[in-house]
Amino acid sequence: MTIANQARSFFRKPHNVILVILAVALSFLTLFPLLSLVRDSFVVHPSEVMTVKGAKVGELTFFHWRKVFASGLTSANMLYKPLWNTVKTSLGSCAIAILLGGSIAWLVTRSDLRWKSFISVVFIFPYIMPSWTLAMAWLNFFRNRLIGGAPGLFTALTGIETANWFAYGAFPIIVVQGLHYAPFAYILIGGILRNMDANLEEAATILKASRFKILRRITLPIVMPAVLSTFLLTFSSCMSAFAVPAFLGTPVRFNVLTTQLYRTLNGLNPGYGYILALVMIVIGTGILAVNQWFIGKRKSYTTITGKGSNISLVKLKALRTPVSLLVVVFLAAIAILPLVTFAVESFIMAPGNYSFSNLTTQFWIGPGRVDIGGGEPGILINKYVWLGLWNSIKLSVVVALMAGTVGGLAGYAISKARGTRLAALVNNLAFFPYLMPAMAFGAIYLSMFARPFLGLPSIYGTFALLVLVGAVKYLPFASRAGVNAMLQLSGEIEEAGVILGIPWRKRITRIIFPIQKASFLSGYLLPFISCMRELSLFVLLISPANRVLTTMLFQYNEKGWNQYANAINLIIIVVVLSFNTVINKVTGASIDKGIGG
Amino acid sequence: MKRVILSALLIAAAAMALGAQTKTMTHDELVAAAKAEGKVVVYSITSRIANAATEFEKTYGIKVTASNLKDGELIEKVTKEVGGGIQGADFVICQDSGRVFGQLIGPGYLVNYVPETMKNVIPAAYQNPLTFQLINKVFIFNDEKTQDPVIKNVWELTEAKWKGKVQFKDPKMEGVNANFLTMLTSPEWSAKLDKAYSDLYGKKLKLTTKNAGYEWIKGFFQNGLVLGNSDTTISENIGIKGQPATTMGLFVFSKKRFDATKNLTLKPMTEVAPFTGFIYPAFLQLTKNAKNVNAAKLFIEFLLTKEGFAPWAKDVGAYSTNPSIGVNADDFPVSFWAPRLVPENPKYIFENRSDVEEFINNLQ
Repeated sequence: MTIANQARSFFRKPHNVILVILAVALSFLTLFPLLSLVRDSFVVHPSEVMTVKGAKVGELTFFHWRKVFASGLTSANMLYKPLWNTVKTSLGSCAIAILLGGSIAWLVTRSDLRWKSFISVVFIFPYIMPSWTLAMAWLNFFRNRLIGGAPGLFTALTGIETANWFAYGAFPIIVVQGLHYAPFAYILIGGILRNMDANLEEAATILKASRFKILRRITLPIVMPAVLSTFLLTFSSCMSAFAVPAFLGTPVRFNVLTTQLYRTLNGLNPGYGYILALVMIVIGTGILAVNQWFIGKRKSYTTITGKGSNISLVKLKALRTPVSLLVVVFLAAIAILPLVTFAVESFIMAPGNYSFSNLTTQFWIGPGRVDIGGGEPGILINKYVWLGLWNSIKLSVVVALMAGTVGGLAGYAISKARGTRLAALVNNLAFFPYLMPAMAFGAIYLSMFARPFLGLPSIYGTFALLVLVGAVKYLPFASRAGVNAMLQLSGEIEEAGVILGIPWRKRITRIIFPIQKASFLSGYLLPFISCMRELSLFVLLISPANRVLTTMLFQYNEKGWNQYANAINLIIIVVVLSFNTVINKVTGASIDKGIGG
Repeated sequence: MKRVILSALLIAAAAMALGAQTKTMTHDELVAAAKAEGKVVVYSITSRIANAATEFEKTYGIKVTASNLKDGELIEKVTKEVGGGIQGADFVICQDSGRVFGQLIGPGYLVNYVPETMKNVIPAAYQNPLTFQLINKVFIFNDEKTQDPVIKNVWELTEAKWKGKVQFKDPKMEGVNANFLTMLTSPEWSAKLDKAYSDLYGKKLKLTTKNAGYEWIKGFFQNGLVLGNSDTTISENIGIKGQPATTMGLFVFSKKRFDATKNLTLKPMTEVAPFTGFIYPAFLQLTKNAKNVNAAKLFIEFLLTKEGFAPWAKDVGAYSTNPSIGVNADDFPVSFWAPRLVPENPKYIFENRSDVEEFINNLQ
């Protein structure tokens, strides 16, 4: 066969075409930022001419690297201690997220727990809220005399003063991030459990294996890839989270990598910041490699075959009602209570005063008052809030459509060409944006697109740039969902279509997508939610006309007008839940169920 | 060749004529040109720009797009936008003089413009770069239990009695706070701190760091200083009524305006040796590639008038550089504050701030 023929037969397979296009596009959109990050760590930036003595802007220097890695106390406080704190809090958060999310996932999918639909909807609330709002809720509850102000609700109600370690620093960061990402773990692990072929478990039951043995030898091994994948995703997310450590760590000066990243990127030494971002990427890549090595050892984890299967639920028997009650009470505490406090506080004038006379609708529908919040009107009559809401929705929908579709196709192509080097490359490229800290990713896209680039006009300040950065950043959700959906799907299903001569497009839209609809749709829903509550990725790229809701939310929080902020937070939650409900009604898919981890 | 020189001369002449024309543009012409542009984009470090924008829109019918940004974000955005030749803001209200001078004015990204009508009004010292207002952060305490100032000397803040009772916005969150600390390490202010130490304790300060400025920063931070994310939140933490201990903070004086709506009781201190806080300018600058130049010029002028400054003038802690705009009844003029507060020296800050930032990051 000649090379031309080889090429022709190569490109005749749709998945190869997809892979080649993605390899080129993603190299540009993810590797290029990485290279510019590396370059920026060796360059003297305009604000650094005074730090790097005698240097000119744009010159090459090893100054940053020396300072970050090998300058005694400075390196210890900029890199090593924050790094240790980051590892500590991220591992802790992961443990909470996986244990909590995994347990609830098992209860909901594999047991006869009561009130499942309620539980599975409410449990995702903490994931929908921007993470720092949970941190704010924690502060409102547990704040103590250290930072003064009105006493926290907990102290006000019980008279017990919370300890410093409980109110600020590592412990609350771990708990808050753990709770924030537990729904994510639930979504990923639940998806696998739901789609798992019950035949194996049934076979074991017939062979009289004990329930514990089934769990240990069958269920856990099948779920393990999802758990590892969840660990990777959650760890990376926790590692690059900025807002929670900023709110909960600052009072006790608890530093993590992101707070140092923020300090250096926004201060006089962005060069340090780029190195810190690289450190985070290296750690993320390391975990990714371990993850792949582990999964690579498994022959296959096809769980949906052409044969029918149904899941038999484990009977909780006498424990059914108590366990169900326990779960509901717990969820009420972590998911509903913060919402209630947000709602209540959005109607209160002077903070901490819960008397009836202090109630006001000022922050919802009041006209601007000069003595409040810089004279801003209530959020429902504030044109900027409506503009922000519209932008947020528009952005999230477009990003979700792009990321979801591209990711779904990527998943299809990667799994079809599994084992080839090209597929592995695209798989890694598609996942790579996840490992980039959002703040640094935004900063790089700003430099990349702030000038005409490779003949393309500058798209800085346009809506298109926000869509692009969002779609690339959230592509990993969709490509993961796509890959997992496809790997679960036995090849015989598409082959049947091929034998009958059904064209590729029809095979995708009529066979593959419908079977794994829930999994593929999760590739749309996760980018949507993430986009609705994202801030640091967009903050440098937003121009006044396309501001999004979270920028306002964060500003109100920062300026101490939490009433407006709480009201906006409620709006975000309501919007996401409405979308979820509509999608659920129309397609049967939903964030809280059926995500093919 | 001659022709080339000639045409070059002609172009130069035309350019000069054009330049002269813009210079001598009358106010009416400016208004007309601004209205023809019809819109203006401003980035601002103060949120009250939104209120001024509403007034400006009403007065001139020119649409304003105002964004409120943090000081570091604003500098970053302008650097990238103007540096990349991208249309962003037409003009900015920016702060953090060290970085503004070094990063924005130095490379020519910002252009100074003093409105004709203001040339004889604004004191010369505030004309280049044109200063919009001065803002002060002062030592403020909760005066529920005592009306008397709670400290007389800043070195008291390094003593055990104030351990964990003082709050300050994290200098890594806001440039001006880092600037203030940097200024303390300057020869002038470290000498003053050195003297204040001897005056208070009757003995010489023993140095463990480079100078008295660093020494005070170290004592201040290591005495359980509580860092916050926002001056507003700090003002609430300090000011809310009914707290057991008297606490204090170093934050924006203008937060006192929320006393009534937030149930606070805050009182500033004016007699603390050798300083009772710091003062910093917010600049009004055109961007080099402003698209709506005339509308921006008109808005700049408007902000320097009584009407334009109204959103700030009604409260304490904001001081227009236009001397005809008086200060609030509960406040003092800049002439009172200036000798009591640490000012910004852009050059010193730009050259030394990263050392100070590193020093602070290394304090535990």
